[in-house]
Amino acid sequence: MSVSLETIDLPHLSSLAVHVALYKDVQNTSYLRQQLLSANTEFEYAFIDATMILSRAHAVSAIFRAVNDYSNERLKSRNIHSEIVFSLSPTNNIADSFRKFGISDSTNNLLVVKVSTTPNITHESVAAHLAQHVQGSSIPFDDVALAGISDVAKIKKAYKLGSLPSAAPNQANGTHGDGKKRLELSVLGAIALRGAT
Amino acid sequence: MIAIGLEGSANKLGVGIMLHPSDGSTPQVLANIRHTYVSPPGEGFLPKDTARHHRAWVVKLVKKALREAHISVADVDCICYTKGPGMGAPLQSVAVAARTLSLLWGKELIGVNHCVGRMLYAYYRKIRSLTLLDIEMGRLITGASNPVVLYVSGGNTQVIAYSSQRYRIFGETLDIAVGNCLDRFARTLHISNDPAPGYNIEQLAKKGKQLVDLPYTVKGMDCSMSGILAAIDGLAAQYGLNGEQKEDEEEHEITGEPVSNETLSTRKPTRADLCFSLQETVYSMLVEITERAMAHVGSKEVLIVGGVGCNERLQEMMGIMARDRGGSVHATDERFCIDNGIMIAQAGIMAYKTGFRTPFKESTCTQRFRTDDVFVQWRD
Amino acid sequence: MTTADPPPSSSTYTPPPPFNTSTTPLIPIYQGAEAHLYKTTFLTPSTPAALKIRPSKPYRHPILDRRLTRARILQEARCLHKLVKEDVSVPAVLGLDWEFAVAADNEGNRNGNGGSWLVMEWIEGEVVRVILERWERYMKGLARESGSQEIPEGEAEKVRGLLRKIGAAVGSLHKAGVIHGDLTTSNLILRPFSPAAANAPEEEHSSPSMEGEIVMIDFGLASQSVQDEDRAVDLYVLERAFGSSHPRTEKFFEEVLVGYRESYKGAGPALKRLEDVRMRGRKRSMIG
Repeated sequence: MSVSLETIDLPHLSSLAVHVALYKDVQNTSYLRQQLLSANTEFEYAFIDATMILSRAHAVSAIFRAVNDYSNERLKSRNIHSEIVFSLSPTNNIADSFRKFGISDSTNNLLVVKVSTTPNITHESVAAHLAQHVQGSSIPFDDVALAGISDVAKIKKAYKLGSLPSAAPNQANGTHGDGKKRLELSVLGAIALRGAT
Repeated sequence: MIAIGLEGSANKLGVGIMLHPSDGSTPQVLANIRHTYVSPPGEGFLPKDTARHHRAWVVKLVKKALREAHISVADVDCICYTKGPGMGAPLQSVAVAARTLSLLWGKELIGVNHCVGRMLYAYYRKIRSLTLLDIEMGRLITGASNPVVLYVSGGNTQVIAYSSQRYRIFGETLDIAVGNCLDRFARTLHISNDPAPGYNIEQLAKKGKQLVDLPYTVKGMDCSMSGILAAIDGLAAQYGLNGEQKEDEEEHEITGEPVSNETLSTRKPTRADLCFSLQETVYSMLVEITERAMAHVGSKEVLIVGGVGCNERLQEMMGIMARDRGGSVHATDERFCIDNGIMIAQAGIMAYKTGFRTPFKESTCTQRFRTDDVFVQWRD
Repeated sequence: MTTADPPPSSSTYTPPPPFNTSTTPLIPIYQGAEAHLYKTTFLTPSTPAALKIRPSKPYRHPILDRRLTRARILQEARCLHKLVKEDVSVPAVLGLDWEFAVAADNEGNRNGNGGSWLVMEWIEGEVVRVILERWERYMKGLARESGSQEIPEGEAEKVRGLLRKIGAAVGSLHKAGVIHGDLTTSNLILRPFSPAAANAPEEEHSSPSMEGEIVMIDFGLASQSVQDEDRAVDLYVLERAFGSSHPRTEKFFEEVLVGYRESYKGAGPALKRLEDVRMRGRKRSMIG
């Protein structure tokens, strides 16, 4: 299967290449999850339930936080890939973050992230490995694709942003235009501020 | 032109004589003497006792100053005195002395704002000494010609900069002055008032190592000291360090051995640690508000004046900050940091030259006298 | 955000990681006493962002320095985050590091100057100070031509509208329980409604556009409070800033308060308190 694996350039952290692939209709999630649970190093990825991802910026902000914490030698979880899943969380509870944002047996839509922490991890090696092991249709990692996947109600619940309106600005002087933009910015703030309280 | 300056706004009575030669050459200090009222440890100086001290000593000091200056009464042009701000009773004693001399000798009276006197004096000294040292320093003088002034003493804590003919107060303490805060803590610890409580706190602080958590209250360019004083007084009481030093009190510093960070964070603070923490905290606040004012007016120079300005740690911290901004700090040296008659004589003589007089009827004093109430004629 | 005050070149200054090794451009915007502000990109190479760095202050005791730098960047970020959630017009928090990271040298040692940083949404538009200055210059020119100091009703109404919008913005801030702490016309940006208008060159000799939305920036001195006293002092600081920077608009300042009064329920008591704060002014004595 061909993979649309994107290697993204994180501003300010360009020394580590980040590879991202988005899938829908994944058939073998329990296999993938099993590899993760058995700590198979071949499968050291951030496997994220894509329905919990609102937008590209949402995912990238968690990646940024994890990569930055990795560079500063202060990971809270086992490795940079588990840290990406944890970084999506607004709280310090690691197990809870995996339950909410990580892959589960019922996951259909999957976001996979891999960071080139060693030179032998390349775009090609990651693409080949994913093509071999992920059974699902690869779709572009962009806001349009994510909009068709994300479960806004669940995301709001996870970030305790239930009171935010989903649509239409409520005030004449409201900044963040449509409700989705405001929700996204609120989520980015929650990711940045995790652990600050 | 010769002026006598009388200063007694707090516990120091100073008499200075200043000569401004008619040919416009460098002004000279003819006499600069002082006598300090020292209160017992654990007590501050009360206005009543301080005023009594000033009344008892003013005649002796004036006579001695005239002798030192080798001048006679006929040579004197004006009598300058501190009009305020300061403590009421001591100010009144000195004002009465100045009026008496004015009537007795038939000389003009000049009432001087204590704060303006200090700044002008410090300013004038800096420029003169630099000129004498090195003409090449002239550039620096231009650079330093409009410094931000931190005025720190027992009664005042202000950040001041000069603009449109006035010294403008950019920031100040919202409650007690920094010197007052230090003095009051010295009283809590029953630290000697000789030569000055602040000086003794500084010496003790040099032996301190552990930084205790104190409130840090900066609001824009203003700051507050009363919460810090309450907190540190509370810590002193909690650790049984208030009152006189106890015989059995362990002095970690005496061994001279380095203390590990771990020990530091768990052991009980000493008197020295408290003095150290108090200084570190309040001086950080002062440097911070000074830096904000510098950024605001675009100045790179700082001038520290007032009694607390003698503190070496404050000077050091201010120096680091100013250096990082590409500037420098000027602090008046010890002899001139504390209240003295010379600065009053100097400010007075400058005002006298512009035609300023204080009519006898208005030769009062005032405890409250804001620096920004004074219209400055001698600068542009 | 403003680019009016170019910062002095500070070649010796090393920003905290990751910005010390970043290949992404950092364009200096402003260097204040507390913080350095840069324009950069964040999350994607095409997302503009404002980076605020609070460098360590070497004059302070390291423990105290770390405590203060951390507390302040967090305070600012928390206020902004809360306001974004409440739909108040402020820049959103995109990234943050309060851990006071210190750059590692070749041997991996981490000592030297650190700092905390905050990345915020970039706000397009011009600060209100610049718009009002341009307007005042225009009015001056008009007065010279006509020989009359009279401000044409259209122009007066335009400024009144802008000031009412400012009042409403401050009201929404106070309603959300946040005090700005440093309200000046340099900390208010007029963001044009359409992105195209932001890039349109302003003609120097025309009356500036006052269309758009007010966005409040620089929450470095902000705090959370619902006290009338704090709200009143916030307004008083803004009033004084108008008085000293924009003499021609000072007479319209009342419109800020009109906009404020209409913006939320608690505005009345805060405005009442403002009268007391004005009376008190800076009349404090210097005796400690």
